[in-house]
Amino acid sequence: MSGGPSVAGTGTLIRAALRRDRWRLPLWIAGGAALVATQSVSSQALYDSPQDLAAYEASVGSNAASIALAGPPVGLDTVAGAVAFEISSFVILVAALMAMFTTGRHTRGDEEAGRTELLRATRVGRHAPLLAAVAVSALACAAMVPAVAAAGVGTGLPAGGSFLLGASVGAGALVFTGITAVVAQVTASARAVYGMVGGALGIAFVLRAVGDVEGSWVSWTSPIGWAQATHPWSDDRWSPILLCLLVTVGLLAAAGALLDRRDLGSGLLAARPGRASAPPSLASSLGLAVRLHRGALLGWAVALGLLGLVYGGLAGSVETLFADNPEARAFLPDSGSLVDAYLATTLSINALLAGAYAVSAVLRARAEESVGRAEPVLATATSRAAWLAGHGVVALAGASLVLLVAGAAIGAVRAVDTGDGGEFSRLLSASTAYLPAVWVLAGAAVALFGLLPRSASALAWGAVAYVAVVTMFAASLDWPGWVDDASPLAWTPLAPVEEWSAGALAGLTALAGLLLAAGVTGFRRRDLVPG
Amino acid sequence: MTSVISISGLVKSFGTARALDGLDLDVAAGEVHGFLGPNGSGKSTTIRVLLGLLRADAGSVRLFDGDPWRDAVGLHRRLAYVPGDVTLWPGMSGGEAIDLLGRLQGGLDPARRAELLERFELDPRKKARTYSKGNRQKVALVAALASDAELFVLDEPTSGLDPLKEAAFQEEVRALRAQGRTVLLSSHILAEAENLCDRVSIIRRGRTVQSGSLTELRHLTRTAMTVETARPVPGLAELPGVHGLRSDAGRMRFDVDTDALDAVVGCLAGAGVRSLTSTPPTLEELFLRHYGDAEAEGAGPAAGAGGVPAPAARS
Repeated sequence: MSGGPSVAGTGTLIRAALRRDRWRLPLWIAGGAALVATQSVSSQALYDSPQDLAAYEASVGSNAASIALAGPPVGLDTVAGAVAFEISSFVILVAALMAMFTTGRHTRGDEEAGRTELLRATRVGRHAPLLAAVAVSALACAAMVPAVAAAGVGTGLPAGGSFLLGASVGAGALVFTGITAVVAQVTASARAVYGMVGGALGIAFVLRAVGDVEGSWVSWTSPIGWAQATHPWSDDRWSPILLCLLVTVGLLAAAGALLDRRDLGSGLLAARPGRASAPPSLASSLGLAVRLHRGALLGWAVALGLLGLVYGGLAGSVETLFADNPEARAFLPDSGSLVDAYLATTLSINALLAGAYAVSAVLRARAEESVGRAEPVLATATSRAAWLAGHGVVALAGASLVLLVAGAAIGAVRAVDTGDGGEFSRLLSASTAYLPAVWVLAGAAVALFGLLPRSASALAWGAVAYVAVVTMFAASLDWPGWVDDASPLAWTPLAPVEEWSAGALAGLTALAGLLLAAGVTGFRRRDLVPG
Repeated sequence: MTSVISISGLVKSFGTARALDGLDLDVAAGEVHGFLGPNGSGKSTTIRVLLGLLRADAGSVRLFDGDPWRDAVGLHRRLAYVPGDVTLWPGMSGGEAIDLLGRLQGGLDPARRAELLERFELDPRKKARTYSKGNRQKVALVAALASDAELFVLDEPTSGLDPLKEAAFQEEVRALRAQGRTVLLSSHILAEAENLCDRVSIIRRGRTVQSGSLTELRHLTRTAMTVETARPVPGLAELPGVHGLRSDAGRMRFDVDTDALDAVVGCLAGAGVRSLTSTPPTLEELFLRHYGDAEAEGAGPAAGAGGVPAPAARS
């Protein structure tokens, strides 16, 4: 190897990692490209006349919710610019998650599982596993560039901007390769790596949302903001990509330096000794589930609480943007209901995130089963139903808590901003309308766990992705009605705009109950399935 | 004597692979029963069926007086289990895992817990993430041994232990037997079973091939001997039960059927023995000799391939 003994074996490790990820990476990349292609087709269909495009520009320019979700409102006078505005933040998120999971799996994931130790005992240098993981993740980020460009060009968008959008997505994701490489040196558990990088991704998203809505420098504190600052199909700036590359190089150098300062298998944060005996609460399957879930649940509750504060704070900007944009009055109702429409959008995003938490919590049960930790517990006087109920109760109660915390945070900020204390209870109770939809997602995950354990993880996350895509795009895409109807959020009244509807919510709750029952029954009738 | 475990004709397939193919196992109350077989022969699968973690495809399985699939929870109150490959919660300390498993099983004796921690030299404050394989095994062993179970199901419990802890474990098993408790001990090491077990069942490719007391199985095993004598030993090669005798500068190597040992030692006595080593039979050799087993074929050429035909299963 030309790079010296500390990177010996990197080439072999890269080939092995590419082989392990030969299905995962193409799916991530195809998913990112598909988002761009779908958005391109739908935008060209929706805004095929200059009048439609002008109306779109006027309304979006005054919609803080769209800007908070999407990006800086630039280049909206062309259809291509509208595509970049609508889809870039989601594609960057997808690519960043791909980079996080790829880098994490091949660094701390392998190290925690003991595979790195096995490899390092062979002719593999100390830096080789990290370098190989980073190389594979960087290759995947690079592959995003032609994939996204092809999606743009293939659907009829100008080539230069298509390529720049692809480069922005790849460069943004590359920064998260670097962040994951650093975090993987700091903490000894792969779960903690994903938690911390996921948190960083959330903070980056919120910072750019704040900066974009306010039109301020705050966007420049976020790697997602850098990736979006290229403004494809309008200003066509390449310098933010250079910034992403420079920061990535710095992060990777830091990761390499940290790697030299720690032992294999350990983090930089020293492991503290635990308790010599268990607290009284750790005496039942529910106590065990609470113990296993409490860290992640706390993280989600804090993250959604903060997101709620940001969403609540941006609600005021909706009125300001509306006042600044006289053309918008022609297309939109008065500013009061505009704020409520914005709030309804934020509450459904909270519901999506709470649903994602519920699915991740239910799938923890599957992880316990597949690594063999369910076996010794189920060999005690603990029934299958009680064991699964422990995880299920935490998932349902935790997801409800997370949703209400976010709703309460939005309500609290609105109450302070408007000086009307009733806003708090109004938005908190509006949030409860979204609970049954969250329970349906949790129930679906339990049913999949009980009935199709091997594919439960892929299918349950697929369900979350489906609901997310339908919620975000159903309005702009001309899909058949049943596509929308299959999402539980489609049956949820969009509180506070729409009235609380007892019938629909009772129906969703009953569906969630049926799914839970199916899952428990399935689990009681099947073998424990490892791996 | 009453049966604690009674399995007959057990079949379990995973997809097209038949893991258990008509397995029989009978464990009487109060005995230490060795459950022997090479890796991959179906020991752990049998135990998982016995614990109601897997569902039998065919055959009958009785645990105490119940069906382990239907009455799992009630039956589990009466048994303690140590898995072959112990996986613990990485963020939980060993002490917490012991208490959790003990409480879920129905409570454990704090004095016994402290005594066992000392005996196995396990630090209960360490996070499971930092434990070696042997220490994870000790966590499961302490949780099981500190419980008040009637039946102990131990799946290769010593595979990660050092010789001192292995000896401590063997003493604990003898103490359990003295208290009249029943132990099912799976292993792929014949010597471990010889030390501890009243009876053994030997399985191969999902079927029981032998079952009985160790004395009953003695005829199946051969001891390898190397002897150096002052004078030649005429007639040794012709003794019944001596196989594959090779002589090299006064040093003889041969295998002896266990029931011919006495005659061989008598014959050697007059020849001025200078040195004598004997190696106990291993499960691998037994399989190689009697079943020409694929798993054991890598161990070397079949020594003294003649003799005992494959016996029929007894249960």
